[in-house]
Amino acid sequence: MSVKERDPLTGHLTTGHEWNGITELNTRVPRAVWFFIIVTHIWAVVYWVLMPAWPVVTTYTKGLLGYDQQDKVEQRVMAANAARAVWTDQIATLPAEEIRADPALMAHVTRTAPTLFGDNCAGCHGQKADGGPGFPSLVDEAWLWGGDADTIMETLRVGINSPHPDSRFAQMLAFGESGILSRDQIRVVVDYVQSLSGLETEASQERLDEGAVIFEENCASCHGEDAKGLQDLGAPNLTDASWIYGSDDQTMFTTINAGRQGWMPAWEDRLTVADRMMLTLYIQDMAHEAKDAD
Amino acid sequence: MWRKLLSPFARLFEFQAKTHYRAERHSMALTIGIIAAASVGGIVEIAPLFTIDDTVEAAPDMRVYTPLEQAGRDIYIREGCYACHSQMIRSLQDEVDRYGPYSLAVESQYDHPMLWGSKRTGPDLARVGEKYSDDWQVRHLVDPRDLVPESVMPQYAFLLETQLETASLPDRLAALRTVGVPYTDEQIENAASDALGQSRPETDRADGVAERYGDATNIRTFDGRTDLLTEMDALVAYLQILGGLTDVAAETQPARGE
Amino acid sequence: MTQLKSGERQLAMILSGLVLLAGFLLAAAGHGDPMGVHGWIVVLFAAVILVVAMRALDDPEPTEDRTMSYYDDPTKVGIVIALLWAVVGMGMGVWVAAQLAWPDLRFDAAWSSFGRIRPVHTSGVIFGFGGNALIATSFHVMQRTSRARLAGQVSPWFVLLGFNLFCIVAASGYIMGVTQSKEYAEPEWYADIWLVIVWVVYFILYMRTLARRNEPHIYVANWYYMSFILVVAILHIVNNLAVPASWGGAKSYSLFSGVQDAMTQWWYGHNAVAFFLTTGFLGMLYYFLPKRAERPIYSYRLSILSFWGIVFFYIWVGSHHLHYTALPQWVQTLGMTFSVMLLIPSWASAGNALMTLNGAWGKVRDDATLRFMMVAAVFYGLSTFEGSFMAVRAVNSLSHYTDWTVGHVHAGAMGWVALITFGSIYALTPVLWRKKTMYSWKLVEWHFWLALSGTVIYVFAMWNSGITQGLMWRTYTESGTLAYSFTDTLVAMHPYYIARAAGGALFLAGAVLALYNVVMTIRRVPDHAPHLDYPTNSEAAEPAVPAGE
Ligand code: HEC
Ligand code: HEC
Ligand code: HEC
Ligand code: HEM
Ligand code: HEM
Ligand SMILES: [Ca+2]
Ligand SMILES: [Ca+2]
Ligand SMILES: [Cu+2]
Repeated sequence: MSVKERDPLTGHLTTGHEWNGITELNTRVPRAVWFFIIVTHIWAVVYWVLMPAWPVVTTYTKGLLGYDQQDKVEQRVMAANAARAVWTDQIATLPAEEIRADPALMAHVTRTAPTLFGDNCAGCHGQKADGGPGFPSLVDEAWLWGGDADTIMETLRVGINSPHPDSRFAQMLAFGESGILSRDQIRVVVDYVQSLSGLETEASQERLDEGAVIFEENCASCHGEDAKGLQDLGAPNLTDASWIYGSDDQTMFTTINAGRQGWMPAWEDRLTVADRMMLTLYIQDMAHEAKDAD
Repeated sequence: MWRKLLSPFARLFEFQAKTHYRAERHSMALTIGIIAAASVGGIVEIAPLFTIDDTVEAAPDMRVYTPLEQAGRDIYIREGCYACHSQMIRSLQDEVDRYGPYSLAVESQYDHPMLWGSKRTGPDLARVGEKYSDDWQVRHLVDPRDLVPESVMPQYAFLLETQLETASLPDRLAALRTVGVPYTDEQIENAASDALGQSRPETDRADGVAERYGDATNIRTFDGRTDLLTEMDALVAYLQILGGLTDVAAETQPARGE
Repeated sequence: MTQLKSGERQLAMILSGLVLLAGFLLAAAGHGDPMGVHGWIVVLFAAVILVVAMRALDDPEPTEDRTMSYYDDPTKVGIVIALLWAVVGMGMGVWVAAQLAWPDLRFDAAWSSFGRIRPVHTSGVIFGFGGNALIATSFHVMQRTSRARLAGQVSPWFVLLGFNLFCIVAASGYIMGVTQSKEYAEPEWYADIWLVIVWVVYFILYMRTLARRNEPHIYVANWYYMSFILVVAILHIVNNLAVPASWGGAKSYSLFSGVQDAMTQWWYGHNAVAFFLTTGFLGMLYYFLPKRAERPIYSYRLSILSFWGIVFFYIWVGSHHLHYTALPQWVQTLGMTFSVMLLIPSWASAGNALMTLNGAWGKVRDDATLRFMMVAAVFYGLSTFEGSFMAVRAVNSLSHYTDWTVGHVHAGAMGWVALITFGSIYALTPVLWRKKTMYSWKLVEWHFWLALSGTVIYVFAMWNSGITQGLMWRTYTESGTLAYSFTDTLVAMHPYYIARAAGGALFLAGAVLALYNVVMTIRRVPDHAPHLDYPTNSEAAEPAVPAGE
């Protein structure tokens, strides 16, 4: 059907077509539409002139502003570095005690370190730095390598058993798997080690003495005669209450049978010296707080 | 004044409307019109990406994925990790601060397809390689909430029990070569053996991997299991090389704190 | 079947036999690979159809003159399938949403992990629900606006069932881990090839039906449906170019890599939005809204402007998904500027729809079906405005990678795509099945409010979480260092994820009501012959278009 009709409501003519009852008015495009089309097009053209925009075979128009997102972010990063350098330079060079003595510097540490720790360390050591199976607690004051700032800084720089060329190296030998100790001997020394830290054990004194001998012969070279650990080797103290992997029979059997070699990543390429110093101060502080809370 | 300014456009449109009124009686006219109108944008935006030289930076140290890493990448795709993780550090200060140097085009040059992602339910992974230990990656994939209680990431414990299928690796590398990844004949031939070798540092096969992919290649028992080459080995090998195929980004950008 | 002649029944048999054979081939070649499982799925699918065709082989020939009626059977089946997919796809959506709130709410099996079921949701709703609704309504609309019967008896079935085979292969594939990882184009190479075949038949069917039309002019709705079919074909073919690792397995590698692949993917990805989720549904809007409102389209001229504006501008804007990435900045500039220019044609079509309702606002108030369409047009306007806003680089630097994008998606997907579809289905069902009315108008009303409140809750939750997350990521302390770790933002998202799951559940409940209501309409409501719903010759003389007024 094709009868032009006038719509009584709007007073506009239809185009004269009808599709299964649907008709169309021939209303003009409203002025506002033209207006906004023009505004957006003008804006676009201006933007093209100012910014990189149109490709031309093997190159593109660079724009009058010479803006480039990569240059821009590099400038931003450098400007931010410069702005922070006021205090990061100090943190990166001063000894830990001096930083700690300066409340202004410590304010930066308190603001910054939790995020750094959360994004990089919490995955292993936990949000509260209290560790978990396989990852040592950093707040129990039982340090593998030492809790002074320089030692922690070095641990953070090179990592432990990490692919870093200067990495600290620490290995708990696989006494069972390499055939040095029999299964029985391992069970005996497990009892002995458990007794060292005052854990309950049902073993007889005789058995513990036997364990002491095995320990003396195999373990003391790393963990020390007194089993208090040797920080030069990263060998843990076995007489305290803190455990990396655990002190139950089964875990300890696995430790001695199959050995351990925890891997702590190196942060030299990922975190700056100042970052690492802030983390050092932060975990030292957390350790103190945890101790005070006890 | 507006009326005057607009009138040429109005006249043009009037003409267009009349033409259209005639054209819309022909389905072929509409078809051709639609194809023409819808082709311009794509051609103008995509074709020059192949012809403009500085679209992809030069990176002489760039290496290809080893077969084990490529197998891991295929698993990453299979499991839909890209639905939650991006691999694209944008050129924004906060992203550089959090994740490291912004990503360069060349870093995904051998990625068929790219995995830049569109949603960060979890963190960006473009530079996650060597951020954690192999053991952490394994345990995290087995149960993320064991290590990160707040995590919403799914568990992938079955990867540790599933043997990696390596027989199809030569075919896969060959297909990748067809689409432009420069694998050598030797690399393709030895793909299955190299996949095993990369996770068996104590064997001769491992030497072959170092020979063909460089001494810097990670050769480790990624999943800690020496009895079986698992899908976990492959996925962790892949995760550990993310951001590590070339150093060009770190070398050319000012780092945070420099 | 009763409408097919015996030759057509034979053709249907031969076709399903061929598909069956292809299924066996796939099963044999892909033995031991998920592709083999797909082979068996194809075999099963084709076998069912084959059996149906065979059993009808000896039925009596149709007696009536078929050109005297419209061919509505494929549309009917399509509508019901669309609703089934709605329930499945949105059910998956609720599950996916729940997993982000309570990550252990899944089975301890590989197939149920977030990364595998998320694409079941997206493909289920976009292709399963949206695609079937588009195919079904396009069959209806092209017949009615051409006043001609479909130009084939077998090919509509081939298109509809072939497309659903694609959807089933896609969804089952994701669960098995078969995916190309390209968003909205995840199915592997063999599914991609099959879709090309289906799509070509679809286009030919469309053109042949238009060629038979009894109207001199092609109605706007058909322009939109045509652009949907044509452009989706182009996008699909280019973005899915890939080399299979072998003929015996599902795995393939995309032809392009890195930056070129990213641009191609988002050229596709954005225009899947444009030509699947927008122009197709605008076709639906352009038919069902004026029909239901019984008002003329507000402006033919505005239709021309917005149609060509949308077709031309949309294609340029894909790069707004890649702001600040390694994609060269010049492409980002084009994506951003064209996105802003695109807003005007988009709003022009939303405005055209809303202005059409002038004089029918009383109906909008009383009739939930029309209200669905009205609200859909509003959400269309809202999400396109939001989209153009998010396409601005500065805004995108905040919104990208966050739930803000997800909020935008669902303002469009739930508010626009799903609402216009539900409205159209309620308008269409009584006409198709020759019923007096829907089974229950009360349920339609309930559905409307469930859908609206579900959408609003979902979208607000995601705006909040997205903007919160985006801001937390970039907040600096007084010292000029980052204030929040990634985990801090995870904790902040949790309440919003719960709210989103709740909003989604409301929306899903509405979809279930729709399915129930349609089924009950088919089964319980008394028949009713509609007035003048058959092909007729046009006595049209050709009027010249008058000057705009
Ligand atoms: C991949 C997991 C992982 C991450 C991430 C990690 N660590 Fe560790 N860290 C370890 C492991 C494992 C050890 C113990 C190594 C061992 O067992 O010998 C350790 C040890 C340490 C030690 C030595 C403790 C001592 O007693 O001497 C310090 C200090 C430390 N980590 C701090 C940090 C800081 C700070 C961060 C973040 C920048 C961090 N760690 C990130 C796994 C990790
Ligand atoms: C070569 C040096 C070395 C020797 C010898 C050695 N250990 Fe160790 N041990 C280590 C190191 C280093 C660690 C820490 C490993 C880690 O953190 O990954 C460790 C860890 C342990 C642990 C785990 C502590 C915890 O916190 O969970 C136990 C228990 C242990 N050793 C007991 C023994 C016993 C018993 C022997 C002798 C049979 C022994 N070690 C011999 C170096 C040694
Ligand atoms: C449901 C979303 C989701 C999926 C799917 C997912 N992840 Fe995650 N992912 C997360 C979240 C959230 C985090 C941050 C919390 C955490 O560390 O668990 C994360 C963290 C990670 C990290 C640590 C990143 C860092 O720098 O701390 C890695 C590595 C990772 N995921 C790998 C994967 C891999 C590989 C897959 C697929 C097999 C995967 N993810 C699938 C959500 C997801
Ligand atoms: C019952 C209602 C729905 C719920 C609960 C729901 C839930 C979800 C969830 C949880 C996601 C994943 C978001 C993420 O990764 O963070 C998602 C993604 C998506 N959904 Fe829905 N959805 C619903 C309805 C729909 C509908 C009706 C459509 C389309 C017609 C749709 C289309 C999409 C799309 C396209 C995505 C991907 C978004 C992106 O990648 O940015 N959804 N949905
Ligand atoms: C003028 C119209 C529109 C513009 C300019 C636009 C723009 C955008 C932008 C800028 C993004 C975010 C990209 C990112 O940061 O990753 C986006 C995402 C998205 N939009 Fe729109 N949008 C428009 C309309 C729509 C409509 C109507 C829908 C209907 C459903 C829709 C669906 C989507 C989807 C599904 C995504 C997510 C893509 C992904 O990341 O997976 N958009 N859009
Ligand atoms: Ca997405
Ligand atoms: Ca595909
Ligand atoms: Cu887009």
